[in-house]
Amino acid sequence: MLLALAQWLAQDVRFFSVFNYITLRTVLAAMTALGISFLVGPTMIRKLAAYKIGQSVRSDGPQTHLVKAGTPTMGGALILTSIAITTLLWGDLQNHYVWVVLLTTLGFGVIGWVDDYRKVVHRNPKGLSAKAKMGWQSIIALLVGFYLWNTASLPANTELIMPFLKFFVFPLSAFLFISLTYLVIVGTSNAVNLTDGLDGLAIMPTVMVSGALAIFAYVAGNAVFSKYLGIPYIPGAGELAVFCGAISGAGLAFLWFNAYPAEVFMGDVGALALGAALGTVAVIVRQELVLFIMGGVFVVEAVSVIIQVASFKLTGKRVFRMAPLHHHYELKGWKETQVVVRFWIITMLLVLLGLATLKLR
Amino acid sequence: MNVENQMKKRTTQALGETYVSAANVMATPDAYVRFWIITMLLVLLGLATLKLR
Repeated sequence: MLLALAQWLAQDVRFFSVFNYITLRTVLAAMTALGISFLVGPTMIRKLAAYKIGQSVRSDGPQTHLVKAGTPTMGGALILTSIAITTLLWGDLQNHYVWVVLLTTLGFGVIGWVDDYRKVVHRNPKGLSAKAKMGWQSIIALLVGFYLWNTASLPANTELIMPFLKFFVFPLSAFLFISLTYLVIVGTSNAVNLTDGLDGLAIMPTVMVSGALAIFAYVAGNAVFSKYLGIPYIPGAGELAVFCGAISGAGLAFLWFNAYPAEVFMGDVGALALGAALGTVAVIVRQELVLFIMGGVFVVEAVSVIIQVASFKLTGKRVFRMAPLHHHYELKGWKETQVVVRFWIITMLLVLLGLATLKLR
Repeated sequence: MNVENQMKKRTTQALGETYVSAANVMATPDAYVRFWIITMLLVLLGLATLKLR
């Protein structure tokens, strides 16, 4: 909206054309999302506490977590509100990719919201059933896959590229493209949700990965830079940098309240939506495999759950002391803050590695 | 005064006023992370000067 206003004003006052620059709008989007979250955050936390929208803690989890019971949850609604308002303000609303990521994020947010609402307000410990949750996630992810396939105008829009290998480009069939899109969006969404078990553990890696994806989106949307770096040129993808800036800003502000000891948790409404947002951006900018590297912490957390469940069902033995992986390290004696900061450090290194793929190919 | 309190007193004396007042109000990890966030924002602002001139 502000872009359209600036473009209209630029007809008379040249200064306003500065808002055409994606880089400037990305920084402004981050600042705006941060400001909105800081302004609304304290009031929202007070309201959540007043309505007794408090987290229930799994009884079979680490005993140290029992003190967290009752901490306000569903703070993800704050993140999503900030992201949506900011994207509508600073994004180019003529760009269809902006709408795809925004609607996907909000769609997954609604699934998470229903799940949280049933758990917290209706006191139904199961929330939304696993089948229903997966069903709705699948519908949205498949719709995104179909839409992106049908609107692809260049071969680059649907090719799979390999990190570090410039000449390994695989054209995907409709089936493979939609399947990959589905796996990336649903997989990332659930992986972020599984990671969201300690104060600040999920949000900081999300901020870091979205920051890196902003760079990938900007480069992919720029004909000169994408040619120079040898990555696919995706016209219009640069606008996603603004969306990623909004995620980073809103996420950092949320961390302010979510840092140990957390005043609020994001809940499924935040975790599912943020994961889906990262997955969708990665699919559009054709960096699914780089997301796999940068989001390594999310991947390992999800894999630890799969291994634990498979091992217990097949052999009756547990591989980890507790799954997801962060609980394993807690039970090994690491303090919660140690686990969180160490996982952040690992993510920083993985994000650097992901960014290195821009040049090393 | 026990050893923990003595160490806390020594640490707070060695650090600046801003940290001390923040640490008195917030639990310590809170203070660390919030100062990191402020630093990140200042670094971003510094980097923005590359483009905004």
